[in-house]
Amino acid sequence: MARAIVRGGGVPSGSAGKQGMRRAEARSILYRRVAVIVILAVFLLPLLWLLSTAYKPTRDIFATPPTLLFSPTWSNFTSVFRYFDLPELLWSSIVISLGSTVLSLLLGVPAGYALARAKFRGAVGVAYFFLAIRTVPPVATLIPFYILMRDIGLLGTWWAVILINTSLNCAFVVWMMYAYFRSSPISIEEAALTDGCNDWRTFLTVALPAVVPGIIASAIFCVMFSWNDFLFAMFLTRAETKPISVALLSAYGTKDISWGTLGALAHFSTLPIILMMLFLNRYFVQGLTKGVN
Amino acid sequence: MAKIRFEDVSKIYADGVPAVDRLDLDVEDGQFLVLVGPSGCGKTTALRMIAGLEDISSGRLMIGGEVANDLAPRARNVAMIFQSYALYPHLTVAENMGFALRVRGQPRAEIESRVKRAAELLELQPYLGRKPAQLSGGQRQRVAMGRAIVRQPAAFLMDEPLSNLDARLRGQTRAEITRLQRDSGVTTVYVTHDQVEAMTMGDRVAVMNHGRLQQVGAPRELYDRPVNLFVATFLGSPPINAVEGRLRAEGKAVSLDLGGSVISLPAETVRQRPALARYHDRTLVIGFRPEALALGSAEGRSLRGTVAYREDLGSHLLFHIDSEAAPVRDPSAVVALGEGEEKALSGDGKAGRLRLNAPAGVALRPGEQVFVTVDPAQLHFFDPATGDALYADSTAN
Repeated sequence: MARAIVRGGGVPSGSAGKQGMRRAEARSILYRRVAVIVILAVFLLPLLWLLSTAYKPTRDIFATPPTLLFSPTWSNFTSVFRYFDLPELLWSSIVISLGSTVLSLLLGVPAGYALARAKFRGAVGVAYFFLAIRTVPPVATLIPFYILMRDIGLLGTWWAVILINTSLNCAFVVWMMYAYFRSSPISIEEAALTDGCNDWRTFLTVALPAVVPGIIASAIFCVMFSWNDFLFAMFLTRAETKPISVALLSAYGTKDISWGTLGALAHFSTLPIILMMLFLNRYFVQGLTKGVN
Repeated sequence: MAKIRFEDVSKIYADGVPAVDRLDLDVEDGQFLVLVGPSGCGKTTALRMIAGLEDISSGRLMIGGEVANDLAPRARNVAMIFQSYALYPHLTVAENMGFALRVRGQPRAEIESRVKRAAELLELQPYLGRKPAQLSGGQRQRVAMGRAIVRQPAAFLMDEPLSNLDARLRGQTRAEITRLQRDSGVTTVYVTHDQVEAMTMGDRVAVMNHGRLQQVGAPRELYDRPVNLFVATFLGSPPINAVEGRLRAEGKAVSLDLGGSVISLPAETVRQRPALARYHDRTLVIGFRPEALALGSAEGRSLRGTVAYREDLGSHLLFHIDSEAAPVRDPSAVVALGEGEEKALSGDGKAGRLRLNAPAGVALRPGEQVFVTVDPAQLHFFDPATGDALYADSTAN
């Protein structure tokens, strides 16, 4: 025991010491990698399980114990094309996501700028109030919004979902762009003012280009929230305007649709958003950390 | 070109603190005026008022004979160079320089030719296609200069444009800016806290402190005839020596008791400063610049002291000497300097700290006793309560 303590606590010397250090380093790397694999498994296994059902014959999906090796089949994908109007579902999702993203940016970016440059102390409080709007449980807003949309004749249209998503996403955009504009130097805008620009031109030609990463990050969040939205789309659209997220969850049990078919449909619901994240994750991470600064 | 005039202009913030307090100042057409003072003295606020980036609480600002209080920045035709340069990060050097012309709808050929001319003047041709992030600090500074020159404005406003450059480049750029201003003849207001820039660049220097204009005049005038102890201590490097002394009069002969050594004042010095008559047998603050001091022997006008430390500046030595003269008792009340500057002025508070330039060969070590002679013709006298310089019969002129 005593020997072990001396060996552990003493300063390593010569090649034996170096070897010991190398071994400790290798062990530390091993621990870290195992930790990463465990964490990845926790987050990715449910998704991989869902996607793998798309390639399994029905008997393998319900097999106990679960089968890891199976002969893949494309039949679930054939069912997707047979039972769903996939282009229409995707088009709905795209229209709703892009529509609410564009509207949120059009309203939220100038509002964030105005707050960032406002000369009153309560501006920070207002910015946080906007963030708080995003934390309101969606279901609490659904019923009054449903009635409102019904009364003005927009229920069942894309507009209904676009508008309610915009109201929530826009609040988030205001808060995020407020942080971006605050960290962008005001002196370049002052330079533009003395160079002959009015306020609008300063905003459009100098302030906006300086926060392009922030606008991209905001757009990613908006697209993500709207694409993944189920609740609003479920209650505010009808059969012809529903997006893929609604089709995915509401189709089970109808028209002889199986779990395998839903797994195949899930590909079309999740892959676009995952691909977007893969390409633009730099902006996504930047957006997440900006508010902290 | 334009004349700029502040008429009783104030800027008071919401908390009631005046950033600029009743400023009266004229910048003549084509003049190079340096606004100098410590941090927070209001010099940048005054500059931003000219640019239209800061509201004016009261008073009148005239640019080119017109009241400009409520004119939008774009309507003032002034070009500002910012401390951070404020280059547009998404535009190339050429686009940065031509931005103001593009905004004003100038023809493309005209923009290109003016940008080209300015780039030649500032040796920026190789960088015209680059973005600001790809440039060094000195190059960015030149682009900021170029952006201002291209516009051919009525006035240049420069807010500490050299503060981000290293010492060597600063010296070089200082000369360049002065030359460009002389060549173009454009009215220029230049803000700095660096007294070397103030002394070397401007036709006139305006010293500010606590939002108030202390003195305005030619650099030499401010150096030789400061109106108060603040101006005397702010200009000059190393700063002026300030100690307390007592004025004694015996008949027509006036002498100065500096705590042990008595210096008789030349009749000319006394004649030029009638105000001194009111201070006989009273304590006042005496200022003398390092060049008014010399190492001497234990006779007549010598002050005794001990070398506190020495700085080898290459060309010469700077000695800090704790003398027998009394330090200024309340330098903060009189001088309003920062904490470090106060200490430099008064030493440890027990002895009157003096600074003295000596040739490089002088072999004096810390702790050694020395005798210092003072040139009485180069003395400055200040009221100990107000800090005002004593010249004519009024407290200051």
